[in-house]
Amino acid sequence: MKVVNQLAVVDAEKCRGCKTCERICPVLAIKMENRKAVVDNERCRGCANCEQRCPDYAIKMVKLEQPVLVKVDVSAVDYALVEDLCRRAKFNPEQLICYCTATRAEEVAAAILQGARSPEEISFLTGVRTGCKVECIQPVLRLLEAAGIKPEPPKGGWQWYGRTVTVWEIPEEVKKKYASRGFYFDEDIKILDRVANAPVQERSDS
Amino acid sequence: MRPPITPLAPRPSQYGIDPSLVKTRAADLPGMTSVMLKELFPDLPEVIFPCEEGVAAIRKATEESLKNVDMSMIRPEHSVNILAAHHGFTLLGGEPYAEMLKTIKDVIEARTGCKNIRLRAGVGLRFRETEEYIKRYGLDQHFNGKAIGVAPVDQGIPIETEVGTLYGIKKIYDADWIVHAHNSDVREVHFHRQVDRAVKPFGMAYARIETRSTYHQNLGPRAANFTARAIFDSPFVQSKFAFASFLTVAPNGIINVDADNDLYALNDRITQSGLRYYGKIMTLFGEIDECIAVLDFPCPVVYVFAAGVIYANFAGANTDLYDLDTALPAYTWYTESFYGKRGKPLLDDIPRVNSAIKMCVHNYAWTGYPSAFFSEHIPTVVVGQEQADHFNMDPQNLTYMKHAMVAEDLKAAMEFAYKVTGTDKVVIFDGAMGGINVSEPLAEFLLKKAPEVSKRVDEELLPKWLRQRGVIL
Repeated sequence: MKVVNQLAVVDAEKCRGCKTCERICPVLAIKMENRKAVVDNERCRGCANCEQRCPDYAIKMVKLEQPVLVKVDVSAVDYALVEDLCRRAKFNPEQLICYCTATRAEEVAAAILQGARSPEEISFLTGVRTGCKVECIQPVLRLLEAAGIKPEPPKGGWQWYGRTVTVWEIPEEVKKKYASRGFYFDEDIKILDRVANAPVQERSDS
Repeated sequence: MRPPITPLAPRPSQYGIDPSLVKTRAADLPGMTSVMLKELFPDLPEVIFPCEEGVAAIRKATEESLKNVDMSMIRPEHSVNILAAHHGFTLLGGEPYAEMLKTIKDVIEARTGCKNIRLRAGVGLRFRETEEYIKRYGLDQHFNGKAIGVAPVDQGIPIETEVGTLYGIKKIYDADWIVHAHNSDVREVHFHRQVDRAVKPFGMAYARIETRSTYHQNLGPRAANFTARAIFDSPFVQSKFAFASFLTVAPNGIINVDADNDLYALNDRITQSGLRYYGKIMTLFGEIDECIAVLDFPCPVVYVFAAGVIYANFAGANTDLYDLDTALPAYTWYTESFYGKRGKPLLDDIPRVNSAIKMCVHNYAWTGYPSAFFSEHIPTVVVGQEQADHFNMDPQNLTYMKHAMVAEDLKAAMEFAYKVTGTDKVVIFDGAMGGINVSEPLAEFLLKKAPEVSKRVDEELLPKWLRQRGVIL
């Protein structure tokens, strides 16, 4: 869930059409037209990724007069399915997977169960990945994978490249090799499993 | 009692309010004093900076340290990327780190004849932060226009590791050789837990979002630290790694410069010094029974620091951050994500934030790091409507002000804090050099507690912490 309170605006005079903004926008809201960046205002989630990386300082963030609430209705989906999907991805449904927008695993799971098929669609619907733009790609990919979906990264884009290892997948020989260096792999598996399987505090359908 | 130490002036930055809006510094308030860290812990090391000589002392120490480093792999026709990261520029005004970077470049050029030496400066979550530092410290000129900031959303490069593919930032690795130029300040001990501190940037400031998300979401609070080691040990990174050069830092200043071709040897040395020196001050902070914390430094909320301890670590100082048998400190992102909808942890044994912080007065701190967890769990008063508005427009802090109050000025904020909390102990996170700015009652408290803490760390905690990390020197 996110309140979108600003939009990216391109200064066409400064834009040199380098495509950096198009390649990094987490919701695919920027396209090049006649070698200039053009923002789709309806898709923009105000994350400022483009503004922060534009090499020509051609993008500014502008405050929206009327902020827009972006949210997936978790209660519109059978909560048993939401819970099952989250736990298969090794998340508690109430676990925060996006610290900036305070989006919980259950909302992303609900978006997937309602038809979202890619990180970009999920970000557009929930606002996840539109705060810091850094930390929450892996939970999104894990939840998609648990739903049997293998998304492809946007062609030519730098939005994301792939899912990476989880602690449950660390090879035993690696654990043994580094057993004395303070990584505590098996102990961390225990705590993450306990969290994933802990009861929820407040079901969204109750 | 000593007068307060003058803190670093506010800095112009897109991540903070205009410095002219910071009307009063907390150190200037009535009743504030300072304690030198050597008074608290006389065994803290002598420092080379701050000193009368200024950054010339850093240049000299860097040159001296690099004499022991093999640079024979670098040929005149090669290219070298000196890798830097943002945190170094927040230490002691930033000039010492900038001077070390300049000196490394000059020494490589003089010893090898190589001219194609670039600076690649990684960031945290403020993607233009190092761009600002590059300009401020004249690094763009010193590197002949070859100094750039890089961010985790920039084009990536796959790196094959023992645990599968991870991803680095392409521009970090686009040279024949890389030089890892960092510092040993403890900084985010809530994340790294002083495990492989020297290696961490390979999984963070030099890494793509996929890798950083692995660290913060896929591996667990302690296993996360393996991410950086996996990347550093990869054949790809090993084929490019030349050497490392670190500012070695203690809570009271810069001890020296340590350079080595063997990063793990350097890592063991800074693990030992980090645990010994920062461990004492961190443990002492954990003894504080009640206080008002004042944030007053040009850094995001979590990173403002006092005596080398950042506010995020003070929020977790009620747990032993160095004890790896404790899975979670009271604040990490793993801890934060484990709070359910009713605002309490999903497991009963997940520790709550440090209840000794009765109130936080946010006089001056930056955006650019998700900080709503703090205002949600610690009563927070932000000084000035402009600062509140600034936070409301930060995509990472859209709900920070939802939980915080606004005071017209620092005086009003402090009056409110004293009245509501009933405590007269105040700790100021303003990065004061060599000491710590506090209220007189807290100064007395710290001076009384320090000897026992020092003894406990030396005799009980330090041996356990070293054992847990397999560090034998």
